[in-house]
Amino acid sequence: MSIRLLPETTVNRIAAGEVVERPASAIKELVENSIDAGARHVDVVLSGGGIEYIGVTDDGAGMARTDLELCIERHATSKLPDDDLLHVAFLGFRGEALPSIGAVSRMTIASRAKGASEAWQIGVDAGKRIPAKPAALNQGTKVEIRDLFYATPARLKFLKGERTELNQAVEMMRRLAMANPEVGFTLTHDNRVMLRVPPAPGDLFDQRLLARLSALLGADFAENTIPIDAERRSFRLKGYAGVPTYNRGNAQQQYLFVNGRAVRDKLFVGAVRGAYMDYLARDRHPVLALFLDADPEDVDVNVHPAKAEVRFKDSGVVRGLIVGALRNALAAAGHQASTTVGAAALGAIRRDSQPFRPSEAFAEFHRPLPGGFGETPQTGFVYADTPSARIESAPSSTAAPVTEAPQEARFPLGAARGQLHETYIISQTEDGIVIVDQHAAHERLVYERMKKALTDKGVARQMLLLPEVIELDPVAASNLADRAHELAELGLALEPFGAGAVVVREVPALLGDCDIRGLVRDLADDLAELDEALSLKERLEDVCSTMACHGSVRAGRRLTVTEMNALMREMEATPHSGQCNHGRPTYVELKLKDIERLFGRR
Amino acid sequence: MKLTIERAALLRSLGHVQSVVERRTTIPILSNMLLEAADGRLNLTATDLDLAVVESVTADVTAPGAITTPAHTLYDIVRKLPEGSQVELEYRGGEQRLTLSAGRSRFVLACLPREDFPVMAEDALPHRFSLPVADLKKLIDKTRFAISTEETRFYLNGIYLHVADGKEPTLVGVATDGHRLARVRLPMPLGAAGMPGVIVPRKTVQEVRKLLDEAEGSVQVSLSDSKIRFDFADAVLTSKLIDGTFPDYVRVIPANNERLLEVDARLFAEAIDRVSTISSEKSRAVKLIIDTDKVTLAVNSPDSGSATEELAAGYSSEAMEIGFNARYVLDIMSQVEGDTVRVSFADAAAPTLVQDGGDETALYVLMPMRV
Ligand SMILES: Nc1ncnc2c1ncn2[C@@H]1O[C@H](COP(=O)(O)OP(=O)(O)OP(=O)(O)O)[C@@H](O)[C@H]1O
Ligand SMILES: [Mg+2]
Repeated sequence: MSIRLLPETTVNRIAAGEVVERPASAIKELVENSIDAGARHVDVVLSGGGIEYIGVTDDGAGMARTDLELCIERHATSKLPDDDLLHVAFLGFRGEALPSIGAVSRMTIASRAKGASEAWQIGVDAGKRIPAKPAALNQGTKVEIRDLFYATPARLKFLKGERTELNQAVEMMRRLAMANPEVGFTLTHDNRVMLRVPPAPGDLFDQRLLARLSALLGADFAENTIPIDAERRSFRLKGYAGVPTYNRGNAQQQYLFVNGRAVRDKLFVGAVRGAYMDYLARDRHPVLALFLDADPEDVDVNVHPAKAEVRFKDSGVVRGLIVGALRNALAAAGHQASTTVGAAALGAIRRDSQPFRPSEAFAEFHRPLPGGFGETPQTGFVYADTPSARIESAPSSTAAPVTEAPQEARFPLGAARGQLHETYIISQTEDGIVIVDQHAAHERLVYERMKKALTDKGVARQMLLLPEVIELDPVAASNLADRAHELAELGLALEPFGAGAVVVREVPALLGDCDIRGLVRDLADDLAELDEALSLKERLEDVCSTMACHGSVRAGRRLTVTEMNALMREMEATPHSGQCNHGRPTYVELKLKDIERLFGRR
Repeated sequence: MKLTIERAALLRSLGHVQSVVERRTTIPILSNMLLEAADGRLNLTATDLDLAVVESVTADVTAPGAITTPAHTLYDIVRKLPEGSQVELEYRGGEQRLTLSAGRSRFVLACLPREDFPVMAEDALPHRFSLPVADLKKLIDKTRFAISTEETRFYLNGIYLHVADGKEPTLVGVATDGHRLARVRLPMPLGAAGMPGVIVPRKTVQEVRKLLDEAEGSVQVSLSDSKIRFDFADAVLTSKLIDGTFPDYVRVIPANNERLLEVDARLFAEAIDRVSTISSEKSRAVKLIIDTDKVTLAVNSPDSGSATEELAAGYSSEAMEIGFNARYVLDIMSQVEGDTVRVSFADAAAPTLVQDGGDETALYVLMPMRV
């Protein structure tokens, strides 16, 4: 076999496989080009999940005819003036995107340069040039891609369904929109607006960013967020981090931008986890958007064909910066975390070690009560830092004392003797003790009840007197709406309510007076991760755990002895209740003889 | 501080204030109650920072003074003292010990200085009116079962108190958990006009209700948009209000439910209670099958079987079936005073109105269940 140089179309097709793996990556390349061209508005139109059609129109600098002819050549770029790969000031620098896309699709590019009187258009069909001809266009550029990957059927096969590709595209647009708040974006799919953000106003990047973030992540993000601004060596970290109580069921809404580029990075995920560790349960994730500015010398952006990863010269510094900045911000905002409804729990735990600190929350308690004897001066009054939220919900690490006689000890799971950390029920059996994970147990019970209800007669639904409107992002809302029928079978009746919201009209009766908002948010997160081919019933366990999560018994809720015993009696009556939906045990049992062995008595 | 007081009087006052004190607070002073003695009276104060109760009782004070001591311990001790005993409380400055003697018993209790005891700020409470004890009791009893316990909807965690204008202005108490709603209307008391709508937290409602048990005559209510105070003869309860917006509930109260079912209240409640025994589920549904002059209650539990019961009733509209959470129905029925209850429907998926044949001032709305 002899060696030969590959023809250019083949080279481009190979490159295409690296640069564009799916519609979302093609969109990213095109939109980045628009941003590089100084566009104020970028409109993206899709159909068939972007597989059939992608159109990107901008009002940027545009290209003159000569540039237009050149831009589809490989390694043709206007963005690396002095061959210096270290100082990359634009998002693009390789001159690879357009030829790569052109190699695998039918592409047309129409453009009118700033100040030019005419527009020109050029095309590429599976790598074959279509000569330039005059076109009609205002200033700017319009790139259209039809039948992406039609020239490489193998790649086409790898694409997921239309909805998955669309979700990816929307997610990509959200990242681009976050990183570029001064640019307005719209994304339309088959005439449905999936995203629309105007250029964010404000002179300062921070202002624009916050406006943009609340447009994208929901208005309540802005209310539940802490600004981050920290520096270490040549790195500067800015952005916004959600307070711990504003958390999600997955880590999707954690955004990191390095020098304006959205990157996915293990280092970032780990750093965020570390910083929030003390504030959040293992399966809850904060929402945040951080922007890292680094000297180009310290970060290599040219390590991933789609530029989705970066490499830091000294990753320890970056990790330290992120963890430190988040920790400081969280500590400083401690009171904010704890006044957020329903979650006074978090900040309070660490208070035990240092119980005497002056606090503003107490200031208003200084003056005497009406009817009191005011003669003693109320001075020098210092007190523990107390959340203004109800004391009832502050956690205590002491066991609930239970005094009544344990006639229930003869039951397999025994008689509840107390609750530890508002998470574990301790119970006494005839010959040992049982520790029940109340959350896992309840999750399992809800699951079993639902499964049973589904096979028996359908899940009973409590209709709501006050339907609950829940604001979400448009994708989450439309994902939920698409599954409305299946959700209704599981007891949750909802319908779309405008572009970015759903209204819930009925909830599974077995959840009682539950946190509907949290439930729907988490279900939306679940759906985003769920393969669209699977029905919700097939993923019933996931759905149930999400539902159980927002039902009446969670970890962190104090239970009365009656409630604890009732839970255990129900576990005994329910098959498979010994394991939670994830296969972890819902309770463990220690026999007295094991305990005796622990103490060396045997 | 030194004083003598009759056990019964002390116990009664302690009983009123001790429940305000959280049993498991991590902050030591909050498990204490403040005792202040002067001018022939002992004042007892308890607080959880959101709510404070001061109760005043006559005592034979020989040396005025003030100290704080663990509330539940003090209460338990006094409870266990023999009836009719005289209790002597003595605190000598500097020792941080309170001595309690009664008969031959002697207790020494740990103390914390009164200066550390949190005192709720005395805000201006511009709106004042007085309410007959019986009215306030009724307002609380007939609404509080519908208060939501779901913390994320904190604005539903209390009774919404507001005035409604109209031909005859009223003072209205409303509670809802989003599944059902209860409303009581009282004639507007003098001085309530122009007051802001306020949400009184559940725990406050509970404590006020307890004080009402032994109160007579009327209660002075004063409020601002952030605090409310209830003045009883010997006690004052001050509480923060829930800082939130109560939903516009008026629009969910149906005005044109035309299918009217009239049924004997007691028989109806008993029958629902009976048939729902068959199901162990918490959210057990009872189905009402309504036809001319009768209603059949049916509960169906795949686990344990089924139950039906037929009741005579007044009904002349089109036959229908509708499901409810049995517990919700029972909660409402336990507040109904009259011999008959009037239940009116639009259809099986719309808010249902329940009215008490014996009390025009109360009204309940119940959302059906789909079974
Ligand atoms: N929307 C646009 N407006 C103006 N000029 C554009 C636009 N899109 C592309 N160009 C021009 O075409 C050139 C080639 O674009 P292409 O995306 O292939 O490469 P690049 O952006 O330079 O580098 P990379 O491959 O890293 O994206 C760009 O350098 C730019 O000069
Ligand atoms: Mg480019």
